[in-house]
Amino acid sequence: MLNLLLRKLIRNHSGNIRMATARLGLAVAVFLLLTAVQIQTNYHFLLKSPNNKDSIADFLVINKLLDNDNLGNTQLDQELIDEIAKQPFTESVGLLSPSRFKASIQSISNQFPFYTDISFESVPSNFIDLKNIDFTWNPTANFVPVIVPNMFLDIYNFQFSLSQDLPQLTPAIVKMIVFKLTVYGKNGPISFNAKIVGLSDRISSMLVPTEFIQWGNNYAEKKSDNTVSRLVLKTNDPSNPAIATFLKQKNLSTNTEKLRYSKYRKVIDTVVAISGLAGGIMLIFALIIFTLFVQLTIANCKQEIILLITLGATPNQLSKFLLKQFYPGNLLSISIATILVMILQWGLTIVLEQQMIHLPVFISWYTLFTAFLLAVLLWFVTNKAIQKHIDS
Amino acid sequence: MIFELNKVIPSIIADRPSVELSDVWGKHIIWKKGQFVKITAPSGTGKTTLVHILYGLRKDYIGDISYDGKNILQLNPNELAQIRQQHWSIVFQDLRLFSSLTARENIELKRVLYNPIITEEQLSEMANQLGIQSILNQPATKCSYGEQQRIGILRALMQPFDFLIMDEPFSHLDNANKKIAAALISAECKRRNAGIIITDLDKDDHFDYHISLNL
Repeated sequence: MLNLLLRKLIRNHSGNIRMATARLGLAVAVFLLLTAVQIQTNYHFLLKSPNNKDSIADFLVINKLLDNDNLGNTQLDQELIDEIAKQPFTESVGLLSPSRFKASIQSISNQFPFYTDISFESVPSNFIDLKNIDFTWNPTANFVPVIVPNMFLDIYNFQFSLSQDLPQLTPAIVKMIVFKLTVYGKNGPISFNAKIVGLSDRISSMLVPTEFIQWGNNYAEKKSDNTVSRLVLKTNDPSNPAIATFLKQKNLSTNTEKLRYSKYRKVIDTVVAISGLAGGIMLIFALIIFTLFVQLTIANCKQEIILLITLGATPNQLSKFLLKQFYPGNLLSISIATILVMILQWGLTIVLEQQMIHLPVFISWYTLFTAFLLAVLLWFVTNKAIQKHIDS
Repeated sequence: MIFELNKVIPSIIADRPSVELSDVWGKHIIWKKGQFVKITAPSGTGKTTLVHILYGLRKDYIGDISYDGKNILQLNPNELAQIRQQHWSIVFQDLRLFSSLTARENIELKRVLYNPIITEEQLSEMANQLGIQSILNQPATKCSYGEQQRIGILRALMQPFDFLIMDEPFSHLDNANKKIAAALISAECKRRNAGIIITDLDKDDHFDYHISLNL
């Protein structure tokens, strides 16, 4: 009953249309701010989530930039390797061990004849992205497991097979083919059966188990001088622009495509900055407008408020009443903006799911917490404005 | 519950010779809950000023006024409001009704400003006694001065109080209505064991005054 009477006495003089417009502006401001936060958290989720590990982006194969000055001198010295390992963007470093023996592979089927000289590399097993395969070897093993870059199969299927009138091969068929791998060493050639156990995009090299490389190098009596020309860098943030800067500074090279995330990050940072800035400015304007609405309402009802206080209404009673007049509408704006961000996130999840990019369906806690903080901020500013003008 | 005035003189009349003759200004006075106090004075001697000072509306005076041991000048706005809700009620000379509310709403507002002690039925009964039942739904300021004065009196009775402060509360009423209004006020004050502080131009016998002073 009291509120009903107070509503008759203290009318909101800001006008329904003006109030609705201001609340729409507030909702847009909150939406932009929350979107900025959500974009940022989505981006970090994509970088960190194991479901979204981009095998190209997270693992960078690094070697010296080859030019006329360092031809034949492309070894990475230990000092540089240590320096790379110490960088904040480095999670771990794996050395690529090259085969130093001559080798060839050839088909054992007349229907599918091929022969080629070949070389291999090996990396520590934790740098291999294929799961559920036994990627080890010993001299009594039935075959040598080999991991081939996907790109090689593409070259075969879409170039070589067409020009040589050979059948195209699916990854499943490729894994069924057994071929002969011959290593040439001090006691003549030794042949093994070999099989492709997996195709990978992570490292563009023919990979065999480290044990096989070591055995082959020993067999060929090649001194293992431990020189390294290439290494694999596992980074926790491929979008970190510091990686590209560091590599350039040290005259190192990697596939620039692998650093594309740093370009994406710049774009995303720009989008987030623009969205956040626009939202922030709009929020400031919205706060100023609501403060003015409070001031206007109190100024227009000054006589009624003075008489109410004269008759015994406490300033707290009036402040609470005015807060109830202004705040729930503003809270509604924040809630609508939050729900819109939720819907946007849900839609984004569905769209990206089709591209095998997995995002959480629900908005992040950071976004929810930001919405909560904005609600508290608005309450604080509105309350302060009311108390300031009631007390005066 | 005690009003204590200690050598209070309003700044605006401090230099007037009439202050020396006053029973109130510059004197030490104690009014207790339950006492009916009449203050009589001709126009221009500060009756309304006294009422406003007692009710905490004016602070331009010398001396001290304390209520229940607390200097009323040192009360913060919320403390003063709570005293006005629960301990002091007032009938203004200039009535001070809300023009945008009906007579009933003006009265009702005071009833619900704090925990109601008067039911809606009692409100209607009192309005009936004062003869304003029929105009309760009219805009308050469209009523006659006599009706507005009775609305103001009824409004003042809607809240709990220890002192009812009235500034020429019957100035627009005829004798018959004065008696009815005074009887209602007296009954309500006795029911609550509350005191009255009333200012008027002339002496009267509307109430059984315990203290009668000239301003």
